[in-house]
Amino acid sequence: MSAIDQQRAGQPLLVETFAEWREAARELLVHDVPPEAVTWSTPTAGGDLFSGAPSTAEQPHNSSKPPSPAPDAPPRHPPPHVPRSLMDMLQSAACCRVPDRWAFLYRVIWRWQQGEHEVQSPADEDGARLNAMVKAVRREEHDMHAYIRFRERPPEAGPPRFVAWYEPQHDVLPQVAEHFISRMGKVSWMIATPEASVLWDGQTLHNTGPLVKNSEDLEDTGEALWLTYYRSVFNPARLNQSVMQQHIPSHRWKNLPEGKIVPQMISEASVGARKIGQYEAVGQRKGTTIPIAPEDAQPERQQPSKLDECRRCELWQFATQAVGGEGPKKAKIMFVGEQPGDQEDLAGQPFVGPAGKLLDRVCEAAGVDRESIYVTNAVKHFKWEPRGKRRLHKTPAQKEIEACHYWLEKELAHVKPTVIVALGATALKSVMRTANVTLKNSIGHPVFHEGHWIVTTYHPSYVLRVPSEEAKREAFQTMVDSLKLAHELLNRQPEEPPA
Amino acid sequence: MELKDKLEILADAAKYDASCASSGAPKRDSVDKDGLGATNGMGICHSYTPDGRCVSLLKILLTNFCVYDCQYCVNRRTSNVPRARFSVDEVVKLTQDFYLRNYIDGLFLSSGIIQSSDYTMEQLVEVARRLREEHQFRGYIHLKTIPDADPRLIELAGKYADRLSVNIELPTQDSVSRLAPEKNVHTIKLAMGSIRTKLDEKDEHPKAPVFAPAGQSTQMIVGADASDDQTILNTAQTLYGSYKLKRVYYSAFSPIPQSPSSVPSAPPPLLREHRLYQADFLLRGYGFTAGELMPNAGNLALDIDPKLAWALGNRDHFPLDLNRADEGMIARVPGIGLRSAKRLIDLRRLRRIRWEDLSRLRCSLKKLAPFVVTADYKPAQGAASSELLRRTMADAPQQMNLWPELQAA
Repeated sequence: MSAIDQQRAGQPLLVETFAEWREAARELLVHDVPPEAVTWSTPTAGGDLFSGAPSTAEQPHNSSKPPSPAPDAPPRHPPPHVPRSLMDMLQSAACCRVPDRWAFLYRVIWRWQQGEHEVQSPADEDGARLNAMVKAVRREEHDMHAYIRFRERPPEAGPPRFVAWYEPQHDVLPQVAEHFISRMGKVSWMIATPEASVLWDGQTLHNTGPLVKNSEDLEDTGEALWLTYYRSVFNPARLNQSVMQQHIPSHRWKNLPEGKIVPQMISEASVGARKIGQYEAVGQRKGTTIPIAPEDAQPERQQPSKLDECRRCELWQFATQAVGGEGPKKAKIMFVGEQPGDQEDLAGQPFVGPAGKLLDRVCEAAGVDRESIYVTNAVKHFKWEPRGKRRLHKTPAQKEIEACHYWLEKELAHVKPTVIVALGATALKSVMRTANVTLKNSIGHPVFHEGHWIVTTYHPSYVLRVPSEEAKREAFQTMVDSLKLAHELLNRQPEEPPA
Repeated sequence: MELKDKLEILADAAKYDASCASSGAPKRDSVDKDGLGATNGMGICHSYTPDGRCVSLLKILLTNFCVYDCQYCVNRRTSNVPRARFSVDEVVKLTQDFYLRNYIDGLFLSSGIIQSSDYTMEQLVEVARRLREEHQFRGYIHLKTIPDADPRLIELAGKYADRLSVNIELPTQDSVSRLAPEKNVHTIKLAMGSIRTKLDEKDEHPKAPVFAPAGQSTQMIVGADASDDQTILNTAQTLYGSYKLKRVYYSAFSPIPQSPSSVPSAPPPLLREHRLYQADFLLRGYGFTAGELMPNAGNLALDIDPKLAWALGNRDHFPLDLNRADEGMIARVPGIGLRSAKRLIDLRRLRRIRWEDLSRLRCSLKKLAPFVVTADYKPAQGAASSELLRRTMADAPQQMNLWPELQAA
């Protein structure tokens, strides 16, 4: 008999599963039956308590039969389109053991059909209840995933190898069984509950009668190790009972093996063990100190370089490491950039990120061998500020540039380059040792300063950052030209006025 | 020594590691496969101990023999504690047994340093390798990384483990060199950096070999040195930004047996740890910076939570009109969380927000009342002084211990 016919005959609509409800609800919606006009009912008991899955054979309806169309009542609406998110919520809520669950779900879907889409929102009155039901069911699933305790059966007893007893508050056994199938692989197990039991034989899931009737039915010697672990991993110095109770409500403890030792642990911790963090049984054992001389305990470490120990400014605190220069010790050209970036800071090498790749292309376009150039930065530690979970480059201050000049001077004295190519304003300020120079006026005008030709150009990250394609091409060309100029200057006498 | 005795000692020694997460691993299952284990990305707490901490992993040390002498650590070489060492097979078997009984979601393995950093790391990696390759274990594995170990060993660890962690232990370099003479912030940072580089590689080249899919984390001990919360949060922020950490764990220093005189003999209030976790969550989830939460040196307030403290110190942003403000700013209102902020934005597309909605969303009305404007509500306390508001919203004051020695004894 179809849902509509049953309603007309004044019979309550008997529904047991979500699929049945869904069929019935669809039919009612199509015929525009308001929620007030429907009475729903559920089978009184979920079958015989210990005979396994409830049988549906004796029920007065059969949901697998398609509802017969009533010729005198043509559908008034097309079947409703319910979004997946709402359907999922309804399906979850249907597992909640409240007497009026089917009627309530129908009211929700009816309201949705009427265009009241806020019925899904927890700020709506029905929505709040729907969300609360979903939450209760999810919580029960979670608790069952977490607090089921399998006990191992002796091998001679045959399969299943592991058996658990649990008393779920909502109808979540089917989905919980799925969880354990994915977790346990080919190991056989059974979960028994007061209403139903499932058995996994390693390949298929069976609904069966229970092997156990409560949690006391099985002994497992493996449990002693678990209790040992549970006791030892607890820190008596941090006793915090209320947080524990917040997470596992007291009704859960009776079926948990560790639940039985909790009161004792609490009382021990509150009287004596609280002073130190150590668990009593461990504290009573004989201790050992390790006879080893402090110097022998030192790990084999590379001596940090002098640069790594630099504390001339505060930047070291926020960086991973100092990044020194790299290249041939007798290079004729030296690139001076601004400071290491995010990737350089991790790798400990200058110009390894996107800017470094661009520099490679500039060298290639100018026909200069990048390998022949010494590459370094004006500031050796990465300066940054947080932006969400990322590090955003921050331009170094003049005092940091000055503090770090010490290291640049050492490099200059060591490498003795003929030409220094200053990449960007920070590098220029650093090599010229003044803040009174501008990038704009210096590009294309090399100067001879303290024994080196100084050629100024853009920093490669400027080329990467500049928004318009045309400006990008121009800036790239400027860099190529500057590098070519640097190459020419290698053979020019310093007395000559710059071109 | 019996397995039970070893477990007693080596679990006791591992309880100072605050990390317990088993989330973030890629989805795996054992349907129709040999071996066992599944991860669904969420992680499950399988129990709670009376200290309120969750048990989701078998958290143990491989050994508590240690040649280092870190003053805050119960396993330091000069500490007179019982010592034990698991064999690799014992850990492998224990992990599987506990997993089958549904006690745990996986393994968290750490170790004292024996022989050398490389030797110790090799042993840790061997446990993970055997679980994964010989026993097809698909549960969660978290390995504590020895910072001085060969980068190739760290790479191997990342191949087997879901999460790697390197403990920074103390927030400043000075404290580390004073309290942990064999450790070095520089090498710790380098190890974190090398892990991040590998994680980045995997992000950029999806076909690169798997490397620690649940990322890396670290732990800082609170209250063993004199660092204040501002220093701690700044260090945390530096670590999050630099090494893309999933989490920084804060572990309130626990007094240890025969404590050396270099560390305090009393624990800091656990509430301080709690406030740090709250502040940390604001850094990670809400887009706050450490500078906003702690503009001045000192510690976080104990009587009110950090978000409320920030709001009281920044009254010019409030009251906030919930029908106009953007989501990020709504989430900054005390009493409204990330999820409620999102729900309010969703609801706002349908109709205007009213006071009733806040109550149904189970926001903390007492907290948010002075800070919001809705279609039908304007706060009367809008002009009340922050000091007054603080007094009404602070946690109830508690009677101090008259005889702290007696309580602690």
